[in-house]
Amino acid sequence: MSRFALRATYPGFTLDARAAFDAPCTALFGASGSGKSTILEAIAGVRDDVAGEVEIAGVRVDGLPARARRIGWMPQDGALFPHRTLRQQIAFATDVGGADANDATRAIDALELGALLDRRPHELSGGERQRGALARALAARPRLLMLDEPLAALDRPLRARIVPFLVRVWRDLGVPMLLVTHDPLEVTAIAQHVLVLEAGRVVREGNPRGLFPSAVTFGGLLAMSAENHFVVDVVGRAEGSLRVRTPLGLEFEIASLEGFPDPGGVSLRAEDVLIATTEPHGISAQNVIPATIERIEDLHPARMVVATASGETIRARLVPKAVASLGLEPGKSIWLVIKANAVIPVPKH
Amino acid sequence: MTSALLDATWISLRVALTATVIDVLPAIALGWWLARRSTLLRTCVVTVVSLPLVLPPVAVGLVLLHGLARDSAGGRMYEAVFGHPAILTIDAAILAAAVMAFPLFVLGAREGFASVPRRLERVAASLGASQWRVLFEVALPLAARGILHGAVFAFARALGEFGATILVAGRIPGETETLALAIYDRFQHFEDAQAWGFVGVSVVFALVLTFAAERFLRRRSA
Repeated sequence: MSRFALRATYPGFTLDARAAFDAPCTALFGASGSGKSTILEAIAGVRDDVAGEVEIAGVRVDGLPARARRIGWMPQDGALFPHRTLRQQIAFATDVGGADANDATRAIDALELGALLDRRPHELSGGERQRGALARALAARPRLLMLDEPLAALDRPLRARIVPFLVRVWRDLGVPMLLVTHDPLEVTAIAQHVLVLEAGRVVREGNPRGLFPSAVTFGGLLAMSAENHFVVDVVGRAEGSLRVRTPLGLEFEIASLEGFPDPGGVSLRAEDVLIATTEPHGISAQNVIPATIERIEDLHPARMVVATASGETIRARLVPKAVASLGLEPGKSIWLVIKANAVIPVPKH
Repeated sequence: MTSALLDATWISLRVALTATVIDVLPAIALGWWLARRSTLLRTCVVTVVSLPLVLPPVAVGLVLLHGLARDSAGGRMYEAVFGHPAILTIDAAILAAAVMAFPLFVLGAREGFASVPRRLERVAASLGASQWRVLFEVALPLAARGILHGAVFAFARALGEFGATILVAGRIPGETETLALAIYDRFQHFEDAQAWGFVGVSVVFALVLTFAAERFLRRRSA
């Protein structure tokens, strides 16, 4: 059994999360900014601004330095060392982790990395880098392997190809995993247990398939993984779509489904919000909303653009390159572009 | 090449190289520390370390002269260890060059370490690496470019050092006369042809160092 009870206070955010888990793969699920990565880093022992207790596989580790915890930690981009080949990285992990070379060999075989061992990170594709980082983490023979959004940096087809490798980690190699994700598909595909995190607290936990009632499973999961939530009233109808309005007057065109009741709210994933610096014309997206950038948060490596439109706050998740190329900065006027299908209806309570 | 020119070239190289080597450990250690701290103390340390960059070199020379004088604690300590006074020796020239070059080395090393993502060091620690192994096997290799940059510019600064050197080491031909001191001396004595010879060697060194830094150490654009 593993468990954590962690507390930290930051400006505008309090972490007070506690949970126990024992499944081969546990998912830590929640929206961006809900504290998922902070928890992982605190368990790994690489940040000292979080207080509390951490017990992994029955061993208290919170008093130990990171190097003595034997907890594999893989950040979102894999964090491979750019100056070493994959073989050298894995050898380094085996050496400093005091592990058996057979562990490394098993990881290399399971992750099908044999032909890539003499390449450096810049010579590997995104998926190969993720597998390489996984093998390196496994080579140190960890008590627990923690993966911070391992698929977030990959495009969808590649994600589907990496998932089986993640499953092999706990099924074939017997290493328990704690997987951070804000993607409900990843939760259901990989994990047997899920901890749902909201604003720094674990608010629900259980079997991912049993935790959410089937009728709202996917929509509910999607909505819970969204960064933007609005209470709305329906103010207009057209074929296949609804027009909804927030109390402050922000309106969305959303896709409607026959036979479903009118929503009492809508949610919107930050990664589904596009930003344009000039008003776009002639596009299919039904929501083109003028807004002003309030601030830009660094979520490393992503950027969260926080904008206001009709008095409401909307978050858009962008890659740093997009922020730079568009010259986005606080105070700048922009247009938010959102497909009707990207707005997730939430039933009335 | 005249004997004076050969001597000055050799002395300059010896002074600059030794000064740079003396700076290596403290500059790397301080650069690492500065890159990993963001406190008021760090700002104070950077301010003090940068003083030789902003002070007139002769002012630094005057401080060193008093610090190494035979009746000073530093001077007595030096004499006890080496058996002779420091002032007016090549050792004084080396010390002056090391002090003047130190800020450039430290700032280069700091930039080098600052360019290493903390994530990589943390991942190395999570794999089980001790602080020393993280430093030597992850941080140092990745900061090497910045450190070498600092070393090259420190060497170049030491090679051209004049103001502090003339005060603590004087200009003794064949012993403490560096290229910079020789140029000044020949100009003072209207020996322009000789002065240009020393200038020519200095230009060659400057070109080689700058070219090497630009060609081999400049970070490749992404």
